[in-house]
Amino acid sequence: MSMSSKNTYWIFIFVTIIVGICLNSFFNSYIQAVFVTFMVNAVMALSLNFITGLADQFSLGHAGLMAIGAYTSAVLNKEFFGDSWMMIPVGILAAGVVTSFIGYLISLPSFKLKGDYLAIVTLGTAEIVRVVLLNWNYVGGPRGMNGIKKFPEFLLSYGMIALILFLTFTIMYRLKTSWFGRNLWAINEDDIAAEVMGLDIAKTKRRAFVISSFFAGLGGGFYSHHLGYISPGSFGFIISVQILITAVLGGLGSLTGSILAAFILTFLPEALRSVQSGGLDLRMIIFPIILILMMILRPQGLFGRLELFETIELWFKNRKQVQSQ
Amino acid sequence: MLEFLQHTLNGLSVGSIYALVALGYTMVYGILGMINFAHSEIYMMGAFICYFAARFLHIETPHPLHFTLGILIACLGSALIGYLVETLAYKPLRNSPKMNILITAIGVSILFQFGGQIIFGADPKPFPSLIEDKKIFSLFESPVHLTDILIYVVSFISLIVLSFIIFKTQTGRAMRAVSTRPDMTPLMGINNNRIISTTFIIGSGLAGIAAVLVSIKYPRIDPMMGVKIGTASFVAAVFGGIGSLHGAVLGGFLLGVGESYLVGYGASTYRDALSFSILILVLLYKPTGLFGSTKKEKI
Repeated sequence: MSMSSKNTYWIFIFVTIIVGICLNSFFNSYIQAVFVTFMVNAVMALSLNFITGLADQFSLGHAGLMAIGAYTSAVLNKEFFGDSWMMIPVGILAAGVVTSFIGYLISLPSFKLKGDYLAIVTLGTAEIVRVVLLNWNYVGGPRGMNGIKKFPEFLLSYGMIALILFLTFTIMYRLKTSWFGRNLWAINEDDIAAEVMGLDIAKTKRRAFVISSFFAGLGGGFYSHHLGYISPGSFGFIISVQILITAVLGGLGSLTGSILAAFILTFLPEALRSVQSGGLDLRMIIFPIILILMMILRPQGLFGRLELFETIELWFKNRKQVQSQ
Repeated sequence: MLEFLQHTLNGLSVGSIYALVALGYTMVYGILGMINFAHSEIYMMGAFICYFAARFLHIETPHPLHFTLGILIACLGSALIGYLVETLAYKPLRNSPKMNILITAIGVSILFQFGGQIIFGADPKPFPSLIEDKKIFSLFESPVHLTDILIYVVSFISLIVLSFIIFKTQTGRAMRAVSTRPDMTPLMGINNNRIISTTFIIGSGLAGIAAVLVSIKYPRIDPMMGVKIGTASFVAAVFGGIGSLHGAVLGGFLLGVGESYLVGYGASTYRDALSFSILILVLLYKPTGLFGSTKKEKI
């Protein structure tokens, strides 16, 4: 099953349309909203996986990038595009561009560092973004922005996020299997050896981060139009962690794994909603337990570096336990 | 002038708390090379242990003995929790990649935060006043309270005890040895795992002491109380040079005073951003901090 063949794309598009029609006609708006949330989470997890999974550069600041995208798109739509839903895609695209530019600015100094320090700097950057938004009256300060234009129809909203997810996955998969992806693998495996081989590792990491920021911006931009309301509180540290958990669960380096993990981690808490009482958020107990057990029992995640179809292929080939590392 | 003095005094008392918590970060980093994200939650647990101990032992009334008892219980309790976290979550990952350990630490931290919200409730709780807070004397017309003096005195004593342990005892020598050459110490008859556990116990105990001191000054505790002090103390540790004990203490005081001036002279809403801005600047221009040493990478 080769991903590059045209047939696979057609299958993708076909399945997406079928799922969309099914959701539209057989399910209530609650399930529809959860499904769209799952796709936003998948875009964010893919975005993080690109930098953390492929290049092993630990970012804890994706909520900050998401916030930049969300606010950009919301402000553009409200102030410049006259609150029209037709212009939402333009706003989202602009959000991606703005976020990737800011991602570039962040990456200029940050990628001198690595490991824990990089994690802390990205965490700090996200926190600074949040505090600036909190103090900026133009975007509502702590109250956030209300009444952001939504899509009038579920199918439009679904189509938009499906398109974003499709683009994100396709572009990332193609990059992963290209020379650029191999460069990232080289940095992941041994950055010193990669540098000795003549690879400009700082530049490569920066590029990867800009690409990652672009898709985080798209995800964030869509998110603001999905909810219709954003505030600095929606983009706290916990969101960065949630994105990280999704990417880790799926397997760092596995793009399909991220999508599957986003599906599990979005629907599982919703399914458990009935057993939780009061205002307790059971998700925040389940997530860290999954994370800790995962790190002890299966540190490579569900699929490790392999994609879903590669795992299936391998499984059929030798019919025994797949060792991904 | 009066205002300036008041801010300085305030900053120093906050700074000594930062120093106590920062020591926990820096000790663990020095010995394991990991950022213990769960440290701020151990600090939070210290406050809650003291809260419940005070309720069940009926020592909620202000009395010097109650205060001493509260501090001791919190210190021992957080030390125990620190030991448990180390044994259950970090020990199985001793030889895994750094990223996995870091992810586990984040997981433990969130588990405590939200587990705390479920067990203790998310609303802030009034901390019992274990000691009567009265004005002791005035320094240039600015009042100096008993709690502030206690914070200085108790943290000073803790620092002295800590430096005695680290620099004068057999265990302290072993800790320094493990942080320098963990591959060599087993050959010298040092049990690395035990020394690492000891480090966690000492660091967590200090966090417990800090928690009680803070809770007496600001008597409202909630499961998320560790986040702010945790990040600030971590910044203090990096500022002073992570892995260096003196650096952590100095960084704590500098950050405490700096924040106090920032809040005092206007930009209070940017307080949370200050520590991270300092952190980013430090990491970019002097990644080793004030006292840190650079390790050469061998290929």
